[in-house]
Amino acid sequence: MDLKALKAQESKRKISKGYMWALFCAVFWGIWYLPGTVVWVLNPFDEMYSAIAETGGDGTALIITAVLITAFNALTVMLALMLWNGVLGKYKELSRTLKEFHPCSKWFFLASIFGGPMAILGSFIAMGFIGGAFAAVAALLYPVVGSILAYYWYGEKISKRAAIGIGVIIVGGITIFGGGLLTELSSGNVQWIGYLGGLMAAAGWGIEGAIAGKGLDISEPDVGLTLRFLGENIIWWIIIVPILAIVGYPMYSFALQAFEPFTMLVLIFAGITFGFCYVCWYKSFPLIGVGRGQGIGNLYGLFAIIFIFLFFGDVPQWTILVGGTLCVIGSFVMFTEETSALETLRGE
Amino acid sequence: MKVGKNRPIKFRILELFLDGEGHWNYEIVSKIQEEYNMKSAYGRDSINFDIIELASGGMLKDVEQKVDEKGIYKKDFLLHKYVITDFGKVRGSDACIRYV
Repeated sequence: MDLKALKAQESKRKISKGYMWALFCAVFWGIWYLPGTVVWVLNPFDEMYSAIAETGGDGTALIITAVLITAFNALTVMLALMLWNGVLGKYKELSRTLKEFHPCSKWFFLASIFGGPMAILGSFIAMGFIGGAFAAVAALLYPVVGSILAYYWYGEKISKRAAIGIGVIIVGGITIFGGGLLTELSSGNVQWIGYLGGLMAAAGWGIEGAIAGKGLDISEPDVGLTLRFLGENIIWWIIIVPILAIVGYPMYSFALQAFEPFTMLVLIFAGITFGFCYVCWYKSFPLIGVGRGQGIGNLYGLFAIIFIFLFFGDVPQWTILVGGTLCVIGSFVMFTEETSALETLRGE
Repeated sequence: MKVGKNRPIKFRILELFLDGEGHWNYEIVSKIQEEYNMKSAYGRDSINFDIIELASGGMLKDVEQKVDEKGIYKKDFLLHKYVITDFGKVRGSDACIRYV
C-alpha cells in the first residue's frame, strides 16, 4: 500500500475509534444519573435524610446526605479506576506520577477540590432536590465557565464561533433554570438549593477541566484521573466526613449501614459508569481532538434524559428538553471550529 | 541530571525530544521499552499512544511519515517522525529540567 492510502486509512481508524470512545463517554455519563437518582431513596441515605431533617431541617439534611453519597461515589470510582489501572498494568506509572507533585499531582489535587465538593456534590444536590434530568442538563453549562476561565487565566482567545456557541448555551441555560423557577415561583415553593446545586455542577466541572488539563497533558490520563479521585477521596474521607462527624452529624453510623448488598450494588454501578466516562473522555481527545471529544461527550445530557425516561418513566418539563437541546447544539458550535486541522489541535 | 526511568513516561519522552532533533516513533518507543522494561506488544502500543497524545496536545509535531515495509516497528503500518514544538519545550522544561 502506498503512503497516501495508508495515511487515509490511519486517519480513518483514529477518527472512528475516537468517536467510539467519545460516545461511550456520553453513554456512561448519561447512565450515571440513574444510580445517582436511585441512591437517594435507598437505605441508609433515606433514613439519614429523615433523621437529620427532624432536627436540622430539610435543607441541611439534604446537603449532609449528599456529602455522604458523594463520598461513596468517590470511593467506588476510585475502586473502578484502580481495577482499570491494574488491568492496564499501570501501577508503577501511577506511583511515578504521584511523586511528581509540582508538575502533576498538585494540579490533580487542586482539580479534585472543584470536581468533588463543587461539581459532583452539586450534581447530587440537584438530583435530590429537583431531579436527574435537571441535574444532567444544568451541568451542560460547564463549557461556558471553562472557556471564560481559559480566557482570563491563559489569555486564550474566544473566537467568534465559540462566542456564538457560548451564547446558544447560555440561552439554553436560561431556559433550563428559568423554566423550572417560573413554575415553582408561581407555586410559591422554590427549591433554591437544588438550583444552586445545578450551578455548582456547571461551575465546578468548568474549573476542574481548566485546572486538571495542566497536569493531564504530560501524564497518562488513566493514571492522572485516578490521582484526581485519590484527591477527592482524601477531601471527603479524611477531611469533610470526619469534620461533620465531630460537629455531631451521624456520618459513620450511616456510612457503615451503606454496606448492604443492594445499596452497594447501586453505588458500585455509579462508580463504574462515572469512572469510565472520564476514562473514555480522555481516550477520545488525542484521536479526534478535545473539541469534538467534549462536543460528543455532551450528548450525555440527552442520554440521561432518555435513560431516565426508559427506567423511571419520567418525562421532563419541556423547558429542560428545549434548553438541553440548545446546550448540546451550542457545544457543537463551540467545539467543532477547527474542522480542517484534525492532526494539530493546539496552536504551535 | 537525567530524567531517567524513575519518572513518568511522558516526561522521559519529552526529555528525549528536548534535543530539538526529529525522532521516529519506533526509535523512541524501543528506547522507552528498554528503559522501563515494557517489552510486550501491549507495552509498545501503550508507549506509542503516549506519543500520539503528546502530539495531539500540541507538544510534538508530526513532520514526516513513511511506510514500515521491513517491519522494523509494525509491518505495513505508518511510521511517524516527530519534533518538539515551542509549547512542548516549555511544558517539557517545566516538568523535566528542574533538576539541571
